[in-house]
Order: sequence, then structure tokens, then C-alpha cells
Amino acid sequence: MATESLDFGAIAAWLVWILPFAAALIMPGIGKLSKNATGFVAVGFALMSALSAVSLLPVALEAHEIHDQIMWIDSIGIKAGVLADPLSIIMANVVGWISFLIMIYSTGYMKGERDITRFWFWMLFFIGSMQLIVMSDNLLQVFFGWEGVGLASYALVSFWYRDKRKDHVGTRGRTVLGMLDYYAPTHAGMKAFIMTKVGDVMMIAGMLLIFLFAGTFGFRELLDNTDWATTMAAQGLLVPAFVLLFGGALGKSAQFPLNEWLLEAMTGPTAVSALIHAATMVKAGVFLVARIGPIVFALGAAGIMTDQFFEIIAWVGAITALLLATQGMVNPEIKKVLAYSTGSQIGYMMMALGVAGLSYQYIDGYTAGFYHLISHAMFKASLFMAAGSLLHVVGSRFMTDMGGLRRHMRKTFAFMWAAGLGLMGAPFITTGFWSKDAVFAAVYESGNEWAIPLYIIAVLTAVITAFYTTRMLGMVFFGDKSRHIQKMEEQGHYIHEAPLSMWMPYGILAVLTIGIGIIGLSAEEGLHHLFTEYLGNYFGIHIAHVTAEPSMLPGFLQGLNPVALGSSLVAFATGIGLGYIFYIGRWVDPAKFVNSNILFYSIHKVLLNRWYLNAIIYWCFVVAPLWLARAVSRYFEKTVIDYGMNTGVQKAVSWGARVVQGTQTGISQTYLFVFGAGLLFVVLILLI
Amino acid sequence: MEYALLQAVFLPLLLSPVAYIIGRRVGPTPAMWFTFAILLYATILVIGSALSGTVEEHYPWTEQFGEFGFLLDGLASPFAIIIYVLSTILALYSKPYMIHKFHAQFHEERNINVSSSGQTAILESSSLTSYVNAKSGLYFALYLVFAMGMLGTVLSTNLIEFYIFFEVMLIPAFFLVALWGDGPRRKIGLMFLFWTHAGAVVLLLGFLMIGMTLGSFDFADISESAIPADIALYSAVAISIGLGVKLAVFMFHIWLPYVHGSAPTPISALLSPAMIGIGAYGLFRLVVEFLPLTFAELAIWFHIWGLVTMIYGGAMALMQDDLKRLLAYSSISQMGYLLFGIGSISALGLSGAEMMYVTHGIGKGILFMMAGIIIVRVGTRSISKLGGLASKMPITAVCAVIGALTIMGIPPTSGFMGEWILFYGALETAINDGSTLRAITFGLGLVATVLTMAYMLWMLKRVFFGKTPEHLDGVKEGSWYMTAPMMVLAGFSIIVGIYPDIFLKSIIPYMSGVLGA
Repeated sequence: MATESLDFGAIAAWLVWILPFAAALIMPGIGKLSKNATGFVAVGFALMSALSAVSLLPVALEAHEIHDQIMWIDSIGIKAGVLADPLSIIMANVVGWISFLIMIYSTGYMKGERDITRFWFWMLFFIGSMQLIVMSDNLLQVFFGWEGVGLASYALVSFWYRDKRKDHVGTRGRTVLGMLDYYAPTHAGMKAFIMTKVGDVMMIAGMLLIFLFAGTFGFRELLDNTDWATTMAAQGLLVPAFVLLFGGALGKSAQFPLNEWLLEAMTGPTAVSALIHAATMVKAGVFLVARIGPIVFALGAAGIMTDQFFEIIAWVGAITALLLATQGMVNPEIKKVLAYSTGSQIGYMMMALGVAGLSYQYIDGYTAGFYHLISHAMFKASLFMAAGSLLHVVGSRFMTDMGGLRRHMRKTFAFMWAAGLGLMGAPFITTGFWSKDAVFAAVYESGNEWAIPLYIIAVLTAVITAFYTTRMLGMVFFGDKSRHIQKMEEQGHYIHEAPLSMWMPYGILAVLTIGIGIIGLSAEEGLHHLFTEYLGNYFGIHIAHVTAEPSMLPGFLQGLNPVALGSSLVAFATGIGLGYIFYIGRWVDPAKFVNSNILFYSIHKVLLNRWYLNAIIYWCFVVAPLWLARAVSRYFEKTVIDYGMNTGVQKAVSWGARVVQGTQTGISQTYLFVFGAGLLFVVLILLI
Repeated sequence: MEYALLQAVFLPLLLSPVAYIIGRRVGPTPAMWFTFAILLYATILVIGSALSGTVEEHYPWTEQFGEFGFLLDGLASPFAIIIYVLSTILALYSKPYMIHKFHAQFHEERNINVSSSGQTAILESSSLTSYVNAKSGLYFALYLVFAMGMLGTVLSTNLIEFYIFFEVMLIPAFFLVALWGDGPRRKIGLMFLFWTHAGAVVLLLGFLMIGMTLGSFDFADISESAIPADIALYSAVAISIGLGVKLAVFMFHIWLPYVHGSAPTPISALLSPAMIGIGAYGLFRLVVEFLPLTFAELAIWFHIWGLVTMIYGGAMALMQDDLKRLLAYSSISQMGYLLFGIGSISALGLSGAEMMYVTHGIGKGILFMMAGIIIVRVGTRSISKLGGLASKMPITAVCAVIGALTIMGIPPTSGFMGEWILFYGALETAINDGSTLRAITFGLGLVATVLTMAYMLWMLKRVFFGKTPEHLDGVKEGSWYMTAPMMVLAGFSIIVGIYPDIFLKSIIPYMSGVLGA
């Protein structure tokens, strides 16, 4: 199936990730020539990369693959390569086109920015690294992309490195357990990089374990011969190795317990939040699980016990989904609400990919997880870009500073509703609905012992999601104008729609959310069909033929799970209804409601304080180690080592010198006397 | 080419008086170019020889000690290349930094010997010029001898020869620190001399034990089977301690922050990445290669000692306010990685350790140059007085970030290539031996990489990002002499990171050969 090298497909597969890197490389030079040209070059190269990805689509639709390799580290026998199979080609297209749209958006959003060349450099570097993760055929090369996106994220989160007050996130002066809840961009970038590195360290340990036994990093080579897995399983190392590998996904995809960096990552420009922290980089973890999941499942099918791996993924996903969604209900900053929502939705994807491995119908969960990835990438990127427009216009991150914007920003209002409906899972017309329904069905039908608790969490999260999305839309667009806006208008700044280059990209994605949503079910079936062939061809994973029960549902809904469909509808209605009461109809004042009794008040406080997780992490992993290091520095390094071995030795030597000095009297009689005594002593010894 | 290595080692020594005279008579710039040309020629010789595979040269020497020879093999060539590449490009960097330093010292000395106030401005400036000329002549002469001493050590084929070169590099280094260091430079210079010399004496003790037992000091004659096990153990311990002082591993490290903090920055940039790592070269050659059985017994101690050094150095680096001291503690931590890798007794672990020498040479070289530019342009090295420099000195900032990434081991810099191979080796031994202890050290070693990342990123944040204090408003980018060498190294780091075979293809066969034998 691997095609000969040097054919067009293989070249396109390489170009998908090489082009953005090449553009990044020439960017400083172009920036020197002309600042205006940088935007065109960046968008152009992003487009070319996306077109290369499109040219590969026929390969994907036939469920074929292109696998092209070159020698890389000859002395260890490691090859570099590209693997364009349906999974990577679809992902590359999602990444390619969403980045292209966000690059267009950036030309408007970052207009007049002083360090625009740096911005484009890192955006292109990011796209290149992300496509490298997607297209690579081995784990080591994936790790290059993996750290590359982490690096780009670090650089772009702290893009505004001058730490001006307007670029901070959090509420000034607010503390949680004594830790400031107010972060500068440079701090946030560092936090993101180090926290994801914790995951990366686990990932590299997992990679090395697998390499040690399998002798290869290659995804395809791992299944050529599975003796290594048997050996590892016998030593009890197989599941730990894959769980460690999943550790990398934990960090990158902001899953519990490495989820806290994502909130501070919102200090970056909103285009960055949309691209990196919503649509693509945080999906890298999901993609990795989708990459290695079938391998693990195939090993499981070969009789090696791998269930714990999938259980861990499913539970991590479920916990994250609920944990982050709850916090999204109370946060006053629009970008943070979206960030919580992103982490929570990725939890759904993880949950689906996890339960997939626990059921006989691996393909159902797999398709559901990946379909949710695609639909989420569209509506969340759209929501983030729209939020960026709001920030741009209003000049504040707080939703309490917005309000009543629907008359002034009609396009943004409409698009945000469309994308928001996708996030809420509005029935039958949005991609979000179909993908979420697929996740529900996969969890419900998995027949696993954990199916019911996981399902309850999933539905509960859906209710909360619908609620916080309505809350966000209500706070921004409905009600009266906030004091902040009134003040702006008094000063002569009138609220206006964002420019074309900004609203068009999120408009396109919002329309697609609805557009694909209308044909959502057939899209899902197409994807399911494609993955059935793909997983069957390359991993030997086939659909278990169970006799299908005739569905009670009519017409076009044939084939859907009625329980999943029902709870999906109820969750949507409950969430949006509650949201309407508080934030659109404004029949009840949320502040009064929360303060009405101690229970609501404390729940609200716990949620607003991020379940205290962030503060605990700071205490344990920042404050305590620094305190320890200071204590060691003061009481060991400076006393025992420095004084004891440096000054101490010096003092001892000079004390010794003084003792010896005492004998140097300078009186010749003394010397003569000692000399005579010594002579006598020698003579006596010789005589005896 | 015949006599290539002989030329590479001795040309700098023989021509160092010429550099002195040129400096004294003509001025610092010609002396700098002269030094640069000699070292460039020597570097080309070394790289050319390395490309043609293993090169060996032998010359007659005294009866008692054996042959005087040079050996450039898979182990020595990465060391030799890094030493000379760094020495060559740092020669360029030296000029502006040292002139800055000479000016400062000139004024300092003039203030001490309160001169008659009647002198004219012209007289002062001419005396400043001659002062700078004389000093720069001396500086470049010492510089050449220092570089040559380092190269000679890694090319030696004889224990006594090794010892001589080992001490030869110490003498010019001592003068360079004692004459032009910062702070109490004489005291620190003496401390440096005392510590490293004490280490060298212990090393010599180990050499004598081996040499007396075998009756020969030639590397070629050393075979472990001919040495009684207890003597092999004692001499291996003595050699390890002697080299451990040079490596500045935990408990023997205290001289290093003082010396690297005080030494003139181009010398810090040579001392820290190039010189102290020679201790690791010694361990590879003398312990791993020549005393493999004894090494296998000691390896776990190297491993643990390395781990402690990694974590300790990193923790202390977190606590530093002086930029150069921070980098010095970082060097200690990085030397811990080397020792950790050596202790892994796996071919890839040892190769990773040597790759770490290469990448540390590149990365720390860049970072010390960054510190030097800040010292010259800002006039302070206290991190708390810095901030937001990225907008003032963009090239330095970019290079410093690449250097920091190299130290942190983030791809595509060369650091990652060293690190993953190193940790792979550690893991391999842990799994193959089924050793829980080694599994734990492996895990803690990975934790140490997070610590490395923490202190590096924090340093970058405090120096280059955030608000710019008002007193830094007029700060300018460093001159081309200072930024160009950094850019060369930064590019080199990325090239090696993407294509590590440049070094690995000579390192890995050597290491497999040593451990396979």
C-alpha cells in the first residue's frame, strides 16, 4: 500500500508541514523588507499548506495511505517519514483550513501591531509543527512537532511580553488561598510551557519504553510484529507505557490534572487563542490518542490486556468535561469561559475515544470522538474569533463590561449564536448536536461497567454547556449596555461591527457549523464508513456483527440511539431554558439568586476559585520547592559547602601557617641550637 | 594531512608570543584577527582530520613515559571540535568585551594611584591606548595557550601527557581569571588554582598507580587484566575524584560558581562549556574505556552522584540573582547530566552523555555570551535590575532563547538529541537489569529536566521580558563581534538538533565498541 517515493502524493504530504516552516524561516527577512508584505506571505503559505492537504483527500476517501520515509538518524537506524492515511489527512485539512481562516482574521486583528513579524513567524512555526504532528509516521518526529507547538504556544501566549495591565488575565487583587488570581502574559506563557512539559516528560518516558521493546518509533512498524507487546505485557509494562504516552496528551490537551494552564493561556492575542488553544494544539492530545488508540486496541484484540488504558482515558475525559464545564458557568471573562468550554469539550472527545476501546464497537466511539473534534474545531474557532472581535471593539475581557451589543454588532451576534448553538448542541441543525449525540450513543452503548456513570456525567455536562453558552450570549448581547460601554460612548467611541477580514472567517465557520449540521447525520455516516475501512485495513479492527435491534425512531433518525437522542434534547432544553431565565429574559437576578442561601453561595465560590486546584498546584509545585531551594541554599550551600569547604580550608591553612610561622624566630642561636639537637639525634640513631 | 594534530595543538602555543607582540605593538584588533586566524586554521585541521575517520600521530618522547602522541577518534573528535570551534568564535567575541574590561580596569587603577591632576587629556588617552594594547597582547597570548591546553588534553595518548596538558590549561586560565576577573579576582583565581590543582594531584595519584603497576604510561599499553583488582579500584576512584573536581559535581562544585561568575565572560564561556566537560572526557577515556570492569562496579554511584548534581545545581540556579552565577550553577546541573549518562552503562546512554557535552557547549556558550553583552551594554549582571531587554536587544534575546532551549532540551535544538538518547540509555539499563533503583533515578532525572526548564524560563522572563526599568531606556544591541558568534552557535544548535548524525555517527560506534568489548 505504501506508494513509491517521489510521486505527487508523497511530495504533497511532505509539503503540508514543510511549507509553513519554510515561510517561518523567511519571515524575518521579509519583515526587514516590508512589514506589509508579511501578512500576505503568511496567509499565502498557510493557504498553500492547506491546498497540499486538500490534494491528499482522494487518498483518504479511498481509505488508502501514503507512507514515505527517508533515513534520518542513521547511527541509531531511525527514519523520518510522512504517513498520510485517512486519520491524518482529515486532521491535516481541519488544521490547514482553520489556520488559513484564522490567519486571515489575524490580518485584521493584529493590524498595526509593532512586532507583527514575530507574530507571523510564530503562527507559521505553529502551523508547521502542528502539521508535523499530524503527518509524522513515528513518535520521535511527532515529539518534534509536539514540542514545537508547545514552544509556539509559549511564545504566543506571552506575545505581549511587556506585561501591560490590559494584557493580564484574571481579576486584579483577587487571591485564592493566598495565591494571586491575576496573571501577566510572560507568567502565563511560562506556566503553559512548564505544565505541558510535565506531560511531555511522561510522554517521552512512554516513548522510550516502547522504543526499548519494539525497537521502533514508527506507527506502522509497531504492528508489523507484536512480540514486543507480549514481552512488555508479561513484565507489566505495556499499559504503563501507553498511559505515560497519554500523559503527553494530558498536558497538551489540558486534561485533568494538568488543566490549569489553559486559562492563563488566554493572555495571548485572541487569534492565538482561537488557533492554538481552541481549534488545533489542544486537539493534538486527542489526535495522539486517535493515533495510538487503534494500535492499543489491536493489541487488545490479539489477547493482550489493555482495558485499563482505555478506562483511564475515559475517566480523565469525563472528569475534565464536568470539572471545567462547572467553572465555565461562573467566570466573568469571556475568553476564560470559552477556554473552560474547550477543555470540557475535549474531555468529551477523550471520553469517546476511551469508551471506544472498552466496547466491541471500537469504530463507533472512535468516529464519535473524531467527529466531535472536527465539529468543535469549527464552532469553537468561530466563537473565539467572534470573542476577539468583541474584545477589539469593547476593549475589555469582562462580559460584565459588555451587554446590549446585539443592535450594534448584528453580524457578530448572528454568527456567535450560530456557533453557540453548535456548542450547545441545538438539535438536528448543528454539527455539534450530531457529534455530541454520537458521543452519547457511544458511551451509552459501550456496554461497559462504567457506561452508566460516564453517561450521567456526559449528560450533566451537556446541560451545563448549554447553560453557560446561553449565559455568555445573554451577558454579551442582551440586557442594557454596561457602564463601561456607556462611558466609552460618552467619550465618543461608538460600538461598531468588526472589519470584513475579521467577521468573514468566523462567519464562514459559523455557517459551516449549521450547514454541515443539516447534513450532519450523513456526514457522520460517511466518516464512520471511512474509518470502518481504515481501521479494518490497517489494524484489523472490524465491526462486531450484532443483530441490530429495529429502532423505534422514524424516518431520517433511523439508526440513532433513542436514549442518547432523548437525553441530548432534554439537556439542550434544560440548559438553554435556565440560561434564558437568568440572562436573556432576566427574570431572576443571578447575583441575588447566588446570594440567596449559603449553599449556592459556597458552590459559586468554589467554582469561581477553580475548585482551589490552581492554588493547590501553586502551593505544592511553586511555593514549596522554592522555599526548599532557598532553605538548602541558605543552610547548606552557603554554610556547609561554601564556608566549610572554602573559607574553612583557607582558615585552617592560614592557622597552620601561623603555627609554623611561630618557629621562624629569626634568632640564629635558636636555629643553631635546634640544628645541634637534630644532629645529636641523628648521630644517636646511627649509633644505636 | 601529516602532522595535522601536532600543528593544531602546538601552533597556538608557538605563536602565542607573536600574538603578544602584535597586541602590544599594533593593537587589540590585529591581535584578535591573528588569534582568530590561527585558531581557525587549527579548527579546520581538526575537523578535516575528524572527517577522515580516526587519526593517530606518534612522536618520540622520553624513555620513562613512553610515546607522545595524538589520537582523534570517535570519542575525542566531538570534544576537540567543540573546544576549537568555541575557542575560535570566542576570539572574536573577546575583543569588545575585553576592551570594555581593560577600560574599566584602567580607570580603576588610575583612581587607586591618584595621578597628578595636571596631566593633559592627550597624555591620558595615549596611555589608555598603550595600556589596552599591552593587556590585549597578554590576553590573546594566554587565550591561545588555554585553548591549546584543552585540545591537547583530549587528544593525548599517554597518561603523563594527559596530565601535563591538564595542568597546562589551568595556568593560563588562572591568569585570565586573576588578572581580569570581576570582584575579588586574585582570591577567586587562587581558589580556582587550588581546587583544580588539588583535583589534578589526586588524578595524578591514580595515573601513577596505573603507570607503576604496568611500567608504562601509554594508553595503548593499558589493559585492565594486567592490573590487580584492588589497584584498579583505587586508581579508578582517584581518577574519578580528580576529574569530579573538574566536572564540579556535587560536593566538589563550590569553586565553579565563583570562578565562572568572576572570570572575564569569553573565558567563562570557554571554561563552562568546554573546559569542565573535559572531566567527562577523562571519565570516558580513562575509566570507561580502560577500566571497564571497575567502571561497571562504580557506575551506579556515578549515576546517583550525577542525579544529585543535576537536581542540586538546578535548585541552586533557581536561587541566584547574579546572571553569571545562575549560568554557573546551571553548568553544574548539566555536568550532572553527563555523569548521569556515564553511569547508565549503556552505549546510547554514554553517547547521550557525550552529546550533552556538545549541546551544553553550544547552549551555554550562547548564554554566557548573552550575559557578556548585558554586562557590556547594561553594566549590571544582577537579574533583579534587568527586565524587558527583548525590545532593546532583539538579536541577543533570540539567540538567548535558542541557547536556553538547547539547555532545556527542546527540539529542534541539539539539546533534545542529547537528552532523549541519554535517558533512553538510563531506561535501557534500568529495564534490562530489572533495577528499581535505576528506574527511580530515571524518573527523577526526567523531573530534573522540568527543573531545568523552570530556572531557564524564569531567567529569560526576568531578563528579557516584562516591564523595562527606566534606567535601561538607552540600552543598545551588542556589536557584531558579539552577536555574530552567538548567531553562529544558535544556527549550529538547530542544525545538530535536526541532523544529529554529524556527531552521533562517530560517537555511537565508539561507545558500542567500548561497551561491547
